[in-house]
Amino acid sequence: MNFSDLAARTNRYLGARGEVPPACGELVEACLAEARAVQRFRYVSRIFDETPAFLRKSPYAEYFAGCPRVALCAMTLGAEIDLRIRRLMRSDPARAVVLDAAASALLEAMSDEYEERFGAARTDRFCPGYGGSPSEDVREIFALLRPEKETGIALLPSGLMVPQKSMAGIVGIGRRAERRCGDCAAKEHCTWKEEGTTCFAPEKRS
Amino acid sequence: MERGGNNVFRPGKEILIFDGGMGSELERAGILAPVPEDLNLDRPELVARIHRSYACADVITTNTFGLNRIKYRGKYRIADVAAQAVRLAREAGKRVFFDIGPTGALLAPLGTLSFDEAYDAFREVVLASRELADGYILETFSDLYEIKAALLAVKENSALPVFATMTFDANGRTLTGSSPEIVVRTLEGLGADAVGVNCSSGPEELRPVVSRMLACAHGPVIVQPNRGVPVAEAGGTRYPLSEEAFERAMRGYAADGVAVLGGCCGTTPACIRRIADLSGRPVAARTVPEETSVCSARMFVKMDRVVVCGERLNPTGKKRLREALLAGDFGYLADVAMKETEAGAQVLDVNVGVPGIDEAETMRRAIAAVQEYSDAPVQIDSSDLRAVEAGARYCCGVPLINSVNGERETMERVFPVAAKYGAVVLGLTMDGRGVPATARERVAIAEKIVQTAEKFGIPRRNVMIDTLTLTASAEQSLVRETLEAVRLVKSLGVKIALGVSNVSYGLPDRPLLNRTFLAAALAAGLDMPIMDPLDGGMTETVRAFAVLSGEDGGAENYIRLQGGGTASPPPSAAEPARTLADCVKRGLKEASAALVREETARRSPLEISDLLAATLEKVGAEYERGVRYLPQLVASAEAAKEAFSALSAFFAESSGEKKGTVVLATVRGDVHDIGKNIVKVVAESYGYRVVDLGKDVPAEEVVAAEKRHRPIAVGLSALMTTTVKSMAETVEKLRAAGCRAKIFVGGAVLNAETAARIGADYYTKNALEFVKKLGSL
Repeated sequence: MNFSDLAARTNRYLGARGEVPPACGELVEACLAEARAVQRFRYVSRIFDETPAFLRKSPYAEYFAGCPRVALCAMTLGAEIDLRIRRLMRSDPARAVVLDAAASALLEAMSDEYEERFGAARTDRFCPGYGGSPSEDVREIFALLRPEKETGIALLPSGLMVPQKSMAGIVGIGRRAERRCGDCAAKEHCTWKEEGTTCFAPEKRS
Repeated sequence: MERGGNNVFRPGKEILIFDGGMGSELERAGILAPVPEDLNLDRPELVARIHRSYACADVITTNTFGLNRIKYRGKYRIADVAAQAVRLAREAGKRVFFDIGPTGALLAPLGTLSFDEAYDAFREVVLASRELADGYILETFSDLYEIKAALLAVKENSALPVFATMTFDANGRTLTGSSPEIVVRTLEGLGADAVGVNCSSGPEELRPVVSRMLACAHGPVIVQPNRGVPVAEAGGTRYPLSEEAFERAMRGYAADGVAVLGGCCGTTPACIRRIADLSGRPVAARTVPEETSVCSARMFVKMDRVVVCGERLNPTGKKRLREALLAGDFGYLADVAMKETEAGAQVLDVNVGVPGIDEAETMRRAIAAVQEYSDAPVQIDSSDLRAVEAGARYCCGVPLINSVNGERETMERVFPVAAKYGAVVLGLTMDGRGVPATARERVAIAEKIVQTAEKFGIPRRNVMIDTLTLTASAEQSLVRETLEAVRLVKSLGVKIALGVSNVSYGLPDRPLLNRTFLAAALAAGLDMPIMDPLDGGMTETVRAFAVLSGEDGGAENYIRLQGGGTASPPPSAAEPARTLADCVKRGLKEASAALVREETARRSPLEISDLLAATLEKVGAEYERGVRYLPQLVASAEAAKEAFSALSAFFAESSGEKKGTVVLATVRGDVHDIGKNIVKVVAESYGYRVVDLGKDVPAEEVVAAEKRHRPIAVGLSALMTTTVKSMAETVEKLRAAGCRAKIFVGGAVLNAETAARIGADYYTKNALEFVKKLGSL
């Protein structure tokens, strides 16, 4: 995803289906600017020559097939943006909702940009939970990567990460692959699909 | 073998050299252990060898970074690992500092770990090591609140020296937003024997952080950087800095006055050997100004300019606040705190004194609410010592304590608490005989307060004096004495506070007297007016004074705020909105409320209420058709809520207008609450009373709320498959307790099937479906 898609992505996260009214467009731009000002982006990764055991199952095995190496990675926008959204939720909920979506979009864009350093021959980032993979696998990533110290991300006993604008995933290196709906377990009730798009690139129409 | 804690151990006088990286040395030896602490028992010879390789240092740190019950997932007892770790470190024949790292969990409110849980975990390792080690090093903390818990756990359970370091990012802030000044001020205040920075990045990148610390630290500064910024490569992490460059940077720090030097990730015995000769040399002298300051986790307030202390969080004469405190409605306190801060308050007085209340527990919760929603440091205002201590313990940063007076007894009670937490204490110039009439007598009391504080180890910079405003109506002649006392007490070298608005009691047009007295007091040297920041006249007086005193350089702030040509109105207000329906549709809160008041002249409250409901209906329908989108729906809901609240004043029985109560919660283990919050806003706009229990809510709390509030519905939210389990448990416990409310569930991973499986009554996809379903019950 490109930085030029940020507004479109934010609007899609907010459920915009048609034209976005100009006033809301300005709010989205303002919130994107605020998210950029408040973010403390951190990204840590570790490259593995040998594919970690938890990736030797579906759907990872298919997705990363042919990748000689994989990078485990974790990334966050930091804690201050959480606090900012929390406070706005009391004083200006509409803005809070937009900032929340803008922050999610920004984290995706900054992570995509960061991953360019792995070279052009790489897969899109794949996070546990995509395509029917168990979201609990985030624990496997944390055990091998131990990103807490450098990123400040904490993994809760429930498997959630805080700060909230955080992700943990896998990038395959050495071969290009894009995310597809494929045999995603959520395909049956996917609201994105109903609307003719996807969860991983909602600004694009399928 | 030398042992610490004796007179040869003088951090701050002579340079002390710490060892370098442990984790990266293990990795260099080919060990990538998921639980490095277990290597103390599994591979003792390896760990001891690394310790011995650092024997050139003065202090060896134990291999116990992750050894606390929250983070540690190894196979041994914590006490056994601690004992063995110290034993191995001793093999180097040097002093041994016990290493304590963070829990890896994030403390509330951003995470779910409580301060007390963190404290208990740290206390456990302190108890296991205090008879064995020579000191403690708290390192690599990124959250000021967590390191406060760790530092208190050491200080309260051991007499050994303790050094404290945190990590900073490229912007010179910790991950949770604390500046170097905030970190130094807070940790020195809590009694750390050396304060500094570790890990983070390379020594050069840390230069700005270290310089700022050296400029404000009254005690020793410690620096333990990484060997450069780590680079991820196939097969591991590489640290790019050469040993020479590391040495050069560290020698520079020694010359600048850093007292304790060592290394973190990527540093090797060779790195430390290169700086080992610095050991024992005198620490380079620095001069640090004596400045009065307080702070929160994210805001540092120096009293070198006029600082407004907001007085609105005090229930005396404020019915709504009193009710909120009695009902435990801390959201109301958060709203007040946000308004005061927005109006320019830089310190917030917090007083929760309501008869019959548990003041200590209420203070703890009030401080938590205020600090979650405002960055302004707090002033703990209570005569209940337990409440003062609770406030000082649970606040993040450095508070003011309001107050002591010249009576020996109050000073002896409060000063130990202020000294322990590094707080600034506010002393009132009165004693058992009351407020003295003359300025001279008040100065005498101030002197006594300052001197007594110093005896308790509270430096003069941590004392402020309130020369006491008396009312002009009753004691007209004494107003001048108060101002004179401001002038005289200033010469003691302390900062001055005054509760300004007392002056106008019993006289008409109080704001006029208040702002006039304020101007006079500022001219006399007042530093911290305690006042209502929402009083425009007073706030403007402070702003104007800042121009006249030269504080507001180039009158920049004044021109920005008073310059007339305010920023262009928000785009949504560009064209005039005429009708109430219009205003609600466009989410104009103030306009909606104002129009409601106008409309009551023409229509009955019931008609207006119907109109609002019909408008919301339309907005909802448009949202469903995709004509409107989420932020618009939320903004309209807010405007409607505001309109309903304005309307309620015109109903004979306002409470009867509510359609019923709804209890909402994000279940235990889940912290994503934006969806639940949207439901709250929309439900309130439809006229329901919403009891919002927040996020990470245990099942028992939901059950208790259902019993207490008798709602028509309980709404539970969960985002992840893992937290659906705790949702199921909550539903089960509600049923077992005989819940009569309908149970609604929602969240990203839910659907009607899952809802039915876990025993909920309804699944609703979004906020709008929720209120529709509620309406059909």
